[in-house]
Amino acid sequence: MEKTNVVVELGEGKYLRMTRSERIQHFVLLSTFITLVITGFWLKYPEAFWVKWITFLIGTSAFELRGVVHRTASVLMVAGGIYHLYYLAFTYRGRHFLKDMLPVKRDITDVIHIMKYYFSKTLEKPKFGRFSYIEKAEYWAVVWGTVIMGATGMVLWFQNIFLPIIHTSGMNIATAVHFYEAILATLAIIVWHFYFIFFNPDVVPMNKAWLYGYLDHEEMEKEHPLELEKLEEYKKQLELEAKQKEKEAEIHKAEVKLQEEKKKELNKGTNSELNIKEAPIE
Amino acid sequence: MRLDFAKKLILFSLLVMGIVWVIFFTDIRTSVLSTKANDECLSCHEDKDLTMEIKEKKISLFVDKNKFEKGVHGGSDCKDCHVNYKADDLPHVTKKADVDCKSCHSDLKTEDHNVHAKVKCESCHNPHYSSPVKEIKNNQTEFCTKCHNQKNVTVFKTNIHAQKNVQCGDCHKSGHGVKDISRTEVAKTCNQCHKNAHEKLDNVLNKSMMKTGNTNAPVCTDCHGVHKIYSSKLDIQTQACLKCHLDEKKFPGEEKGSAKFVAEYKTSVHGMLTGKDNKQAALCTDCHGNHEMDDPKNPGSAKMKANLMETCGKCHADEVVKFKNSAHGKAYLSGDIKDAPSCTSCHGEHNIKNVASTEKFSKINTSDMCLTCHKGGKLTKDVKNNSDSLAANYHLSVHYVALKDGNTNSASCADCHGAHEMKPSNDPTAKTNKKNIANTCGTTDCHKKQAEQYIGSIHQVAVDKDSKDAPTCTNCHGNHQIAKRDKGIDKNIASKSVVKLCSDCHSSTGIIQRNELKDITRTFNESFHGLAVRGGSGDAANCESCHGYHNVRSPEDSLSSTFKANLTKTCGQCHKMADKTLFETKIHIVNPQVESPWLFWITNFYILIIIGTIGAMTLHNILDYRKKMQIKRELIKEKKSQENSNKEISQRDNSIDNTDNNEDNGKN
Repeated sequence: MEKTNVVVELGEGKYLRMTRSERIQHFVLLSTFITLVITGFWLKYPEAFWVKWITFLIGTSAFELRGVVHRTASVLMVAGGIYHLYYLAFTYRGRHFLKDMLPVKRDITDVIHIMKYYFSKTLEKPKFGRFSYIEKAEYWAVVWGTVIMGATGMVLWFQNIFLPIIHTSGMNIATAVHFYEAILATLAIIVWHFYFIFFNPDVVPMNKAWLYGYLDHEEMEKEHPLELEKLEEYKKQLELEAKQKEKEAEIHKAEVKLQEEKKKELNKGTNSELNIKEAPIE
Repeated sequence: MRLDFAKKLILFSLLVMGIVWVIFFTDIRTSVLSTKANDECLSCHEDKDLTMEIKEKKISLFVDKNKFEKGVHGGSDCKDCHVNYKADDLPHVTKKADVDCKSCHSDLKTEDHNVHAKVKCESCHNPHYSSPVKEIKNNQTEFCTKCHNQKNVTVFKTNIHAQKNVQCGDCHKSGHGVKDISRTEVAKTCNQCHKNAHEKLDNVLNKSMMKTGNTNAPVCTDCHGVHKIYSSKLDIQTQACLKCHLDEKKFPGEEKGSAKFVAEYKTSVHGMLTGKDNKQAALCTDCHGNHEMDDPKNPGSAKMKANLMETCGKCHADEVVKFKNSAHGKAYLSGDIKDAPSCTSCHGEHNIKNVASTEKFSKINTSDMCLTCHKGGKLTKDVKNNSDSLAANYHLSVHYVALKDGNTNSASCADCHGAHEMKPSNDPTAKTNKKNIANTCGTTDCHKKQAEQYIGSIHQVAVDKDSKDAPTCTNCHGNHQIAKRDKGIDKNIASKSVVKLCSDCHSSTGIIQRNELKDITRTFNESFHGLAVRGGSGDAANCESCHGYHNVRSPEDSLSSTFKANLTKTCGQCHKMADKTLFETKIHIVNPQVESPWLFWITNFYILIIIGTIGAMTLHNILDYRKKMQIKRELIKEKKSQENSNKEISQRDNSIDNTDNNEDNGKN
């Protein structure tokens, strides 16, 4: 049987959203991201009140520690990214993930549609599939951000290697890009991601998929109705197929019965050897 | 012893013959004396061995004939004087009668005050060989000292008066008017020759004392001696001034003018420098004057405060010239400031000590001396108020601490301000004038290296061009309270304080505008170096890491550590690959649009993206929230109306009315 949809109903109204591997990837990303945000803005705003708290707690070596932690987190994040690339390329679910994540024309029409919906021009909310334009924007922003931050971060980290290549002007640009990209990423996470995960009235207080990996039926109906529809359709198809198979099997059984009956009738009158030869062929 | 009869007889006969000789020849002798009396007398008295015993004393009765005849009395007879002498009698008179010289010298003028009135003429005028008065006069000293042979008189022979042929009579009067000179007459007597001195003495203290009847007031002889005239200054000191002024009975108490006060002189540098070096030592008269000595309160007195500089300047000319041009000297001379110091304010009066060896002037104590005035509001309004606290802060400075620890090379007040040449810092010749401070700190061996580095720096060049903003030593290090550079201090704290120090000026909009500087402080603080320093890094570069400190130079100066060609070396201190790096943009990018257009456009692009993206996201989410809440509210309404309708249904079920309507409501 070929899988046409990666959303799997776990029974009891639970729908698999994130596998354990995906949850671990997400956790690595979020923990390194938060660490990088804290240790990064700590450098940029050394006089901020929360920086003072941290340095008060850690002591005089706080600044040196900050650098070490920032770089360690960045390595972990990039490592997670590389694993994600492997996941996308070499796992069935990963390949499907990428396929579902690629932007399509419908995303644009969805945006237009939802704007109409927000302004009550239409009563019907656009139906989203496995990944809405919201999630796609989120994902590709993370991809873009990781690449930019990783690249500029490496330049700044290994400035001795990069100085002769990009010179001081390049270092200045790398520094500026690293900073503004950090602001963009942090704000995007807070405004975009946190809204849909925490403050969104449909999921308040939190969408727990990143913890348990599944969504319930109601959440699926609200967030991914198209996916649910597809799933239901698939289920129906499966059921139909199963019914057909049953019917076929019944017919087959009936035919077999008929044949057996015929054979019995024949056996009464013919050789038992012929029966033996015919049976394996079927 | 028994004499023989024969000897007795001879003696007796001799006696008888003698008596007979006397009886018979008396008349003859007198007649001889009258004619050739002198010869007759001399016939005996020419004998050099002729003596006579009076009261067990042998007296020579010898008369030198030649001398006698040459003398003034050579023409007169013995009898003229030796009245009632009987030539035949031995002795010639029983009771020697006084020679009445007046019988001949009846025209003698003896004055009433003549101290010699009771002295016999022959005490002075040898009767037999009397020399002419002129001769006596020429040899007067010898003559007088025959009688006046006391030591204190005979010293006259060796003194300057004797050498200059001044004789006893010049003072005491000669002839028969010899007088004793009373204290009141001394000045008058000396005045005969020493006219100037007398006039001076007469004008001053002496006169005022004399007028009040104080006979203790010194006269010429009290100081110069009577017969022994002191020609040496030192003698006058010890013999004259101190003779009286160390007497506690004459000068009691402990105040100025007391014996105790004067006694301090004996242990002073002026008093101690005796012996071979005594030429350099100041004696009483060097400061107080001699004849014109006056009460210090009198305006004319040499010791009067106003005249003090001239007085001390006689020996200490260099110091006084410096002092006169100093702030102290000017304030003092102008008379505006009562407490302005003069020589004695610091050095003392009688108790002046060698500056090099006195505790009071030791480097560690000079500050205390200066602070007696420069602290606690003792100064007048003319002196800035804040100088009080500034000066007091010296005791917290590294200089004072080092002095306390025994480093005598460390600076005290005078090392920077000068001692006598102390001037206010706004005086261009002052050691503490902004332009001279580097020299003051650096010309001595104290901070020579640092000063050499500083000279030629952009700061020094600007200071030299009268810039009020450019810093010299004191602007960074402080003046009185120069802090110690604590090498054990946390590197980051040290780094931050350097940045703060430079930022004090380089972030001041006033200084930036006046000197056409760039706001490099801001760019540094935003750079990685600046962020790391602010964050707590001890290793990250601060201002001095690149620019140096004493020798900060313009980046256009080829000697500057920030000159383009030197950047590889400067940056290379930390960045190994700096030598392969092109520094095509400035380190402190103040105006990115011009200095680094790429950076400028990328930055602006990012800001636009951030505003656009985050703005759009926010807007989208607000709309989303609004819609979702709207739907929620509608759902709640629906639920309520449903509940209401359910209630109605139950009510209507009871009344059994219009069941069709109920069904419609329920559907809605």
